[in-house]
Amino acid sequence: MKAKRAARLVFLGLLCAGLPAFAHHGFDTEYNQSKKVSLTGVVTKVSWLNPHMRIFVDVTNQDGSVTNWNLELTSPNNVRRQGWGKNDLLPGDKVNFEANPGKLVESRGALRLITKVGDNHPLFVRGGPEAAQEGYKGDSAK
Amino acid sequence: MKKLLLISLTASLVVVSPLHSQERAGKPDPSLVLPQDVNKPAPRLPDGHPDLSGPWDGCWKTGPQGCYGGGTNNDMEKDLNMKPGELDALLQPWAKELRANRKEKDEPYVGCLPEGVPRVSPYPTRIVESYTSKGLTHIFILHETGDAGAHRQVFMDGRKHPDDNDLFPTWFGHSIGWWDGDTLVVDTIGYNDKFWLDGKGTPHTEKMHTIERYTRPNFGTLLLDLTLDDPGAFTRPLEYTFTFKLLRPGLEMMEFICLEDNEYGGAAGIVPADESGEKEKLKERQQKQ
Repeated sequence: MKAKRAARLVFLGLLCAGLPAFAHHGFDTEYNQSKKVSLTGVVTKVSWLNPHMRIFVDVTNQDGSVTNWNLELTSPNNVRRQGWGKNDLLPGDKVNFEANPGKLVESRGALRLITKVGDNHPLFVRGGPEAAQEGYKGDSAK
Repeated sequence: MKKLLLISLTASLVVVSPLHSQERAGKPDPSLVLPQDVNKPAPRLPDGHPDLSGPWDGCWKTGPQGCYGGGTNNDMEKDLNMKPGELDALLQPWAKELRANRKEKDEPYVGCLPEGVPRVSPYPTRIVESYTSKGLTHIFILHETGDAGAHRQVFMDGRKHPDDNDLFPTWFGHSIGWWDGDTLVVDTIGYNDKFWLDGKGTPHTEKMHTIERYTRPNFGTLLLDLTLDDPGAFTRPLEYTFTFKLLRPGLEMMEFICLEDNEYGGAAGIVPADESGEKEKLKERQQKQ
């Protein structure tokens, strides 16, 4: 059941409906489009709130300190329509993610991509399925 | 540059054939009804009028400016496929100047206030044909968006718009509607001037008058021909078509309380303006101290 669900999540992936809230506002203004980080960490919180949901991830830095990344997505409704359930990403899950850092505080970023460690396919890709399949050249909001 | 050209070419191709495209970048959008069902006949209500229920999705294709269905979104000029400068030619000088000076962060919409009608919500939408013992007296248009839970109300009982003294400007205006064959016509006046027509800040006045013509040419498609007539801000009426697509069965509108965690601007230290600009003025005073 779990494998089937994961497969469905992957297939449903990441539609245009994943884009609107970002495409409306704020992305260019708040996040550094020309910079991208790729990190691994442990989820501490998944916030299913409107207008944009957030995933918080503890990342251990090279010096051993821990930074809690605050990652902004699109609306929880859009993410749910991609097939996410309440329990598909939980505190304690290990993830790889890509984000654009925030202009004020780098660790307050805009999520581009997130994959559970061990999964072959991302759980979320900003921009929709074709972004993931075309080698992920960047989001279609540009 | 090349990529932009490619994107705009692709976008314009899609706009040219909206009824044929059920895909984005060649892949079917799984949130919409299946391509083979799109062209089936549109259903009708018992009284013979088209069933316009939905839910419809207006955000089913993406371009350089984000998602849209043919209406205005971040930049009216680009979203409506106008040539550069074409929108400026439609705006009166004061409106052109205001548009050039407005900042995205100051739009009421980023504070969870309504987008306004001409911007046409890209979020899932339902058109609720409300039948009572007196027949179809009201149509309610529900948008899943951060509109503070608001809805549009279209009076279908043949009444006229109120006289000026009884016409109080509102975010969604006063709407009256009627059937013209299979077309639902919605005529609206009484808008306030607070919302923006796009993210760039295209303004309008309380003189704005919109005429919406909704048709459902097939099962999967809802077309909206919108005429925007604002002699206070524009030099002539503007007309455009917005295409909605039907969501697949099982997908419903969801609650969207925008105010529950609106952090717009937080990642860049941006302070959105409140209506009176008091927050900005206070910040300036504090910085001077």
